[in-house]
Amino acid sequence: MSASKFMVAAAFLSISAPVLAAVGHDNAHGHGAASGSPGRISEASRTIKVEMYDMYYEPESISVKQGETVRFIVENKGNIVHEFNIGTPEMHESHQKEMMMMVEHGVIQGGKLNHDMMKMDMGNGHSMKHDDPNSVLLEPGQSQEVVWKFSDKGNIEFACNVPGHYQAGMYGDVNFE
Amino acid sequence: MKIRLSAVLLGLLMPALVLAGEYDLTVDRVQIDTGDFVKEGIGYNGASPGPVMRFKEGEEVKINVTNNLDETTSIHWHGLILPFNQDGVPGISFPGIKPGETFTYEFPIQQAGTYWFHSHSGFQEPDGAYGAIVIEPEGREPFRYDREYVVQLTDKHPHSGDRIMRNLKMMPDYYNREQQTVGEFFSDASENGLMSTIRDRMAWGDMRMMKADVEDLQGFTGLINGRGPEQNWTGLFEPGERIRLRFINSSAMTYFDIRIPGLDMTVVQADGNNVQPVNVDEFRIGVAETYDVIVRPKDDQAYTIFAESMGRSGYARATLAPEEGMEAAAPQLREPARLTMADMSGMPGMDHGSMAGMDHSNMEVMDHSNMEGMDHSKMEGMDHSGMAGMDHGDMMMSKGGANDPFYAKGSGLMPTAANGGKFLSYADLKAQDPLYEDREPTREIELRLTGNMERYIWSINGIKYEDADPIRLKYGERVRFKFVNETMMTHPMHLHGMWSILDVGAGQWNPIKHTVSVNPGTTVYMETEVDAPGQWAFHCHLSYHAAAGMFRKVIVEGGPDSTQAKADAVNEEGGEA
Amino acid sequence: MSSRLSLTLFSLLSVALLPVAVHAQEMIDDTTARKQPLTTWGVQFEEFEYRYSDDDEELGAWNADFFYGTDDFKVRWLTKGEYAIEEQAYEGLENQLVGQVPISKFFDAKAGVRFDTPEGQDRTYAVLGIAGLAPQWFEIDANLYISDEGKASAELDVEYEWLLTNYWILGATFDTTIAFSEDSEIGIGKGLVSTETGLRLRYDLVDRAFSPYIGVVHERKYSDTADFSKMDGGSIEDWFAVIGARIAF
Repeated sequence: MSASKFMVAAAFLSISAPVLAAVGHDNAHGHGAASGSPGRISEASRTIKVEMYDMYYEPESISVKQGETVRFIVENKGNIVHEFNIGTPEMHESHQKEMMMMVEHGVIQGGKLNHDMMKMDMGNGHSMKHDDPNSVLLEPGQSQEVVWKFSDKGNIEFACNVPGHYQAGMYGDVNFE
Repeated sequence: MKIRLSAVLLGLLMPALVLAGEYDLTVDRVQIDTGDFVKEGIGYNGASPGPVMRFKEGEEVKINVTNNLDETTSIHWHGLILPFNQDGVPGISFPGIKPGETFTYEFPIQQAGTYWFHSHSGFQEPDGAYGAIVIEPEGREPFRYDREYVVQLTDKHPHSGDRIMRNLKMMPDYYNREQQTVGEFFSDASENGLMSTIRDRMAWGDMRMMKADVEDLQGFTGLINGRGPEQNWTGLFEPGERIRLRFINSSAMTYFDIRIPGLDMTVVQADGNNVQPVNVDEFRIGVAETYDVIVRPKDDQAYTIFAESMGRSGYARATLAPEEGMEAAAPQLREPARLTMADMSGMPGMDHGSMAGMDHSNMEVMDHSNMEGMDHSKMEGMDHSGMAGMDHGDMMMSKGGANDPFYAKGSGLMPTAANGGKFLSYADLKAQDPLYEDREPTREIELRLTGNMERYIWSINGIKYEDADPIRLKYGERVRFKFVNETMMTHPMHLHGMWSILDVGAGQWNPIKHTVSVNPGTTVYMETEVDAPGQWAFHCHLSYHAAAGMFRKVIVEGGPDSTQAKADAVNEEGGEA
Repeated sequence: MSSRLSLTLFSLLSVALLPVAVHAQEMIDDTTARKQPLTTWGVQFEEFEYRYSDDDEELGAWNADFFYGTDDFKVRWLTKGEYAIEEQAYEGLENQLVGQVPISKFFDAKAGVRFDTPEGQDRTYAVLGIAGLAPQWFEIDANLYISDEGKASAELDVEYEWLLTNYWILGATFDTTIAFSEDSEIGIGKGLVSTETGLRLRYDLVDRAFSPYIGVVHERKYSDTADFSKMDGGSIEDWFAVIGARIAF
């Protein structure tokens, strides 16, 4: 990912910030800017199991209370690599460009992840590690936890940003009660 | 007749045990109004295109087809897996449906997705006898979308199919109005130099081949869902919705390059089978292929669905709009396509020595003109948006711009997206949920796609259907077909009854299709799990190529229980439903 | 489970009550038109025109062919003639009936008979020829004739087209005849007999079915043939302005 692209993403976020009434977009990646923050497992009020299939989630929508911390157990039950990522549609959109790069560099190969490639230095101090706290990227059969605190009300979706998957409808709605 | 009777008995005895649907289709003479002209044609239930047939996976369908024509007809369910005697090819599946007769098709629906149906008799299909099939899956759709539309394309020509065939036989360039002119000679000469232009013309003249030989049949009006560009078929949406568009190319002869300026498209299905989603700006749909794409128009505005023919001689156009009557601008057609020597590279019997000596210079000339004419600016555009400051050998590849491995290197048909973005390649198609285990093929069959443009003869391995023996396959084998295109035209090869596993180099993820397009000067492999007993048609889906001899009968010998195979075909298939 | 049961019963019923059902699923032979050689036909008037000569002669002229057949064998009727309007007489009238078979990718061989029935002496010839497309897009038609008088002659027709646009087409034709022996009764001398050179500019008005044109035609007779013509009071060289239409259907 080039520096200029990050600038564009950052600029985009700052433009949209007033609309979203977002806080904490100091995170250069823009991840989690307006969707909440990493939670502590001790604060989790409940556990939601999310299964990922090829191009859809089960469940496809969840309800949370503002400020609630939820522990997600995410399992990939599909044939190919999927992501579970909590964010606004705008965040997903900018993240999709990074994911596109991961596909182009062979990090995501259909049903497999190339972990060596993920560690590769991309210049500018960036790598393609995909280690943000609001998301997990899983091979088929893998399962992982995400603990997330929904501190901000907003237009939040959980989504798979592997290229094409979000557009094909692999997203779920987060409704605030 | 007997089938119908047994079905009646079955129906009487066990009415509630099977999910079943009964449908009626009449085959009628109809008027077709394209906006440019009105002609008499053939349709279903009084219209062309016919209705969208909606089935459900697992359903036992019964379709009563009544022939109101004064000639024999038939319906082929393109892409459906069914017993061979329900496949609807006269002379191969069944004798056909005589005038006044009603034939009842009965078969289980064992798949989901977008397909189509058409007559397999004479030129009834180009004359209008086609319709769409949409099959809902047994489980949920794996994609999320708010609405869906069938977008069925055709190349409606004012002439009847019989007349077109006769004209092509009489003068193969009868309909070609994109030939190189004296003016083009001078503009090429000023661009590339007089001598190299003369050399170029001499090289092609020596072969008696035309660079402009991309579309045999020009002068058509592109229709979408039966409506011409002026009649502007419109699909409505609410801004922000995801829309699934089920593109079907029911053309007799025309490949279309499809784009919706202002919208990204995500390809989710090809030939009825789900693929791993691919975001594209534009895609080429071969004759008889289907592609499902999902788009998400966010703004309160109209968008044009623009389908430009591969040779740029015509187009189809439709609109997606928040309300009826809104429309967006239709883009201009791009420059006519010109073949290059690369597209001729499959031709045998050419003097390779002299080719190399003489054509090198031509290649340069031609590539230059191509690149300058259309690719260069777009390449730049692409570089800026997608690849700033990065070094990606394989990215070039995946961008599909000018490097699609399914075209001869330097081919004049190499597609590029109008906006400089991503153009879908076969190499991008990967099965979402592979139907078959990947395994070694048991044998390879080479099929050379051959022809003689000047005589308008099209053949396989140099032999026309009328002179050919059937291709014999054994039940249970996995055959690797090697298509070698020795002609300068693109051929969409369609095997009936069994899936074509297109080798895109993705192993177990290779997509399954029913129609495999083979570009000039290329070799394409596909594999087939021979899992359907009986006999099947296998042909180029360009109507006038198939009629001119590029057609084969395939016989699958044996079966799950080889002695009973033939008789039990229906029951076996049904048992799996 | 239930559907399987029903299907089992279905097949039992089929077998027990309807033994002919098996027959219905037999693999039939393809006897449809698709399996037969494709038969086609066509009519082409390459020239159908009015000619006006530099010495005020008016002619009606045509050059047409009708064919019927398959890729492997065609029957072709070729007809051409020149009708002098004032004299109300056929200066030339020639009909050929030939069979035609392909001999290479671009060429056909043909054989048949030719009947010449103009004003004056008639002739019947045996015809042997080739026709096809030569490199660089020259349409070639070359024929050898042997008359019922035992006289041999040869004729070569060459055509070439320039596409000024895809609808405005300039066509050049060149015909020449050589006689291997004299046939004075019909005014043919030994050696080079005649040439006809034409240049026609046409416009494809209705597909390629109807294309009006204008043009010039130059006819010339040579050596002994020219002398025969002079003795007969005819000309040895004519220029014509022509107007007509190319017709194909």
